[in-house]
Amino acid sequence: MSERRPRPRAFRLDDERVAVDDAPAPAAPTAVVRSESAEIPAFADEPLDDAAHVVAPAEGARRRGRLRLSTLAWTGLGGLVSLGVGLWVNDLLQRLYARAQALGAIGLIFAALLAVGVVGLAAREIAALMRQRRIAELHAALARARASDDREAARALVARLAALYQGRAEAARGRAEVAEASRAIVDGRDLIDVAERALLRPLDTRAQAEIATAARRVSMVTAISPRAVLDVLFVTAQIVRLTRRIAELYGGRPGFLGFVKLSRSIFAHIAITGGMAVGDSVLQQIVGHGVASRVSARMGEGVLNGLLTARVGLSAMALCRPAPFMIDKPPGVADVAPFLFGAGKRG
Amino acid sequence: MAARSLADYFAGGAVRLGVTGLSRAGKTVFITALIDNLINRGRLPVLRAAAEGRIARAYLEPQPDDAVPRFAYEEHRAALAGPDRHWPHSTSRISQLRLAIEFERAAAWGARASTLTLDLVDYPGEWLLDLPLLGKSYAEWSRETIAAVRAPARAPLAAEWNLFLSSLDPAAEAEEETARKAAALFTAYLGKARADLYALSTLPPGRFLMPGELAGSPALTFAPLPLDEGVVAAPGSLATMMERRYEAYKTHVARPFFRDHFARLDRQIVLVDALAALNSGPTALADLENALVEVTRAFRVGRASTFASIFRPRVDRILFAATKADHLHHVSHDRLEAILRALTGRAIARAEGVGAAVDVIALSAVRATREAELRHAGEILPAIVGTPEKGERLGDQVFDGVAEAAVFPGQLPEDPQAAFAGEALAQPEADADWRFLRFRPPATAPGAPAPHIRLDRALQFLFGDRLA
Repeated sequence: MSERRPRPRAFRLDDERVAVDDAPAPAAPTAVVRSESAEIPAFADEPLDDAAHVVAPAEGARRRGRLRLSTLAWTGLGGLVSLGVGLWVNDLLQRLYARAQALGAIGLIFAALLAVGVVGLAAREIAALMRQRRIAELHAALARARASDDREAARALVARLAALYQGRAEAARGRAEVAEASRAIVDGRDLIDVAERALLRPLDTRAQAEIATAARRVSMVTAISPRAVLDVLFVTAQIVRLTRRIAELYGGRPGFLGFVKLSRSIFAHIAITGGMAVGDSVLQQIVGHGVASRVSARMGEGVLNGLLTARVGLSAMALCRPAPFMIDKPPGVADVAPFLFGAGKRG
Repeated sequence: MAARSLADYFAGGAVRLGVTGLSRAGKTVFITALIDNLINRGRLPVLRAAAEGRIARAYLEPQPDDAVPRFAYEEHRAALAGPDRHWPHSTSRISQLRLAIEFERAAAWGARASTLTLDLVDYPGEWLLDLPLLGKSYAEWSRETIAAVRAPARAPLAAEWNLFLSSLDPAAEAEEETARKAAALFTAYLGKARADLYALSTLPPGRFLMPGELAGSPALTFAPLPLDEGVVAAPGSLATMMERRYEAYKTHVARPFFRDHFARLDRQIVLVDALAALNSGPTALADLENALVEVTRAFRVGRASTFASIFRPRVDRILFAATKADHLHHVSHDRLEAILRALTGRAIARAEGVGAAVDVIALSAVRATREAELRHAGEILPAIVGTPEKGERLGDQVFDGVAEAAVFPGQLPEDPQAAFAGEALAQPEADADWRFLRFRPPATAPGAPAPHIRLDRALQFLFGDRLA
């Protein structure tokens, strides 16, 4: 510790040799807030280990070898298919031109439209995937910054969280609250709590309402639908819709690929949490099902399907949320769909 | 005591908040800011109930003890916010106030209106130093005090008293005149040691510095004497008289204070003015540590339970707060917290050992400065801008209490132990790596609470769970 420390000193503001460059109200800290596009400090190169990326490490290592072979195969196949498509389009155009000049031109226009559309779709998919990945990163980084009570990291992360909901009119108040808290001297942990409460809690309420509606609808339709096939279709459709809605609520807006990835994570998540949530839902599930099924098999199935929907919805919520549940307990099935258990008892 | 606790228990929703701190730690300002922010709806984003809009209102209620003066909240607030804004004068007597907070519970079984009453006690911080005396005999106390006085760091302060002390004979006949002179010189020494320049903390007995209504009574007219171990003083000697008065002091002054205000607390905040001790030097810091350890030993700490809360109330949450955090830039707050953690390490270990929750923060109940970036001679320094008090000086600048100034107070060491290294006391400015000036209270809009630093975090820790 032999390095020279700066000496304490003071300058009177009314001294004419001192220039005051006073920003409106609270001066310096507002100016040094990191820009929103900054990399997530210190966490960027660490592997993510939250539930959104559940892959057992041993399995991951084993899969890498296979993955390379399958990548090879897929690359080859993809290349061949695109060559084939290119050849086919080319042939088609040439034949059209051979038939008539005008037909060829029209064909060319359609081909161009196709190309633009495909590129656009691909770009959107990639953007959606990146967006999802950013949210997952934010999720992990927020959890870490909160655990270490890191003020600077929290400030940067919370700014990113607020930026995620920039376009939402109804989040204006929450954003203002967060901005004010990050200007004041608030510790990292508290700042993240403030942001979670101001920005995410209203979304949580809406997501829970969505889950409740979907679960209610599924259990109702299952109970009255005449065909099992119809149930399956309806439940699947409802679950897909619910998952998308929740992802959109939290700012994910997944495309097709994103959706596929999300559903895989959801199933992994359910596989893990389902095993652990014995105290909460499994017992209730058995009891609720038992009582209801004694009354009517259809009704019991309705309850079961409702529970499944609620469970998927909750997993989607836990995965799409840009921050883990920190100030509140994560909601359980009984919180979002109490009517499923109530119906069992009444029946 | 159990009867009162029982009554409180069934009345429900009462928190007895102990605001502890040595003199000048900022107890009065903390209590005033707490009340002000809750009544006038200050911005408390970290206090969950307030941020969620669940606090309907807060208002002052008559305090439970009829025999204790009321905490002069309105006057203190006027002093802070008035035209010639100044910090409240040092507290000279005990006072009390009850704050009722009406709020809605966020419990799962639906919102429910509820009221939490908060009992606050303000008292002169000097009196706190009496608590350690309860466990000490006169002979023990004399030995400790005289050893401290003769230590090299304090010797120059106590020259006059030391001289008189060596002329005293404990076995001599008791004379009131001698006792008075001894007490006067001893008190003068204590007063000098407490001054800003030295900022020493372990200076019992507290009533010598802040006598309250007992000034001049025999219980306050004694002083330590050089007693040999195992020697029984003869009846009628000076030593016997002093010892009797010391015991009277313990019985009539120290014990009632402890019984009435320390034995029945639920939550404790310990305010520590680490900056004054840092200004003075490592010896003052060590002395502060010593005082804090002795004081916190008097707390009844432990996990709360229904039984305990009725028959033997315990403090289940302790917050150590380094006050006047606005006197340095927020980038240094973590280091200030580290120093406080080192200062109170022994007290923290003890409290955590019995299951109490402990937190350490840098706090400023009334924020007197704003932050700025200071560019000077090619360096960019994190600085604070405020109005230093009249007569404060730094380098060649002497402040008049009117002009605003940008102050870079220096850097606290990264390793908290570095602040404790050395023997210096009353360090000259040129030797120190830091110098903390005192600032006047901020000018605030009338009616609005003054800004603060982490007051909301402190409140959340202290009673946020009771507002859940």
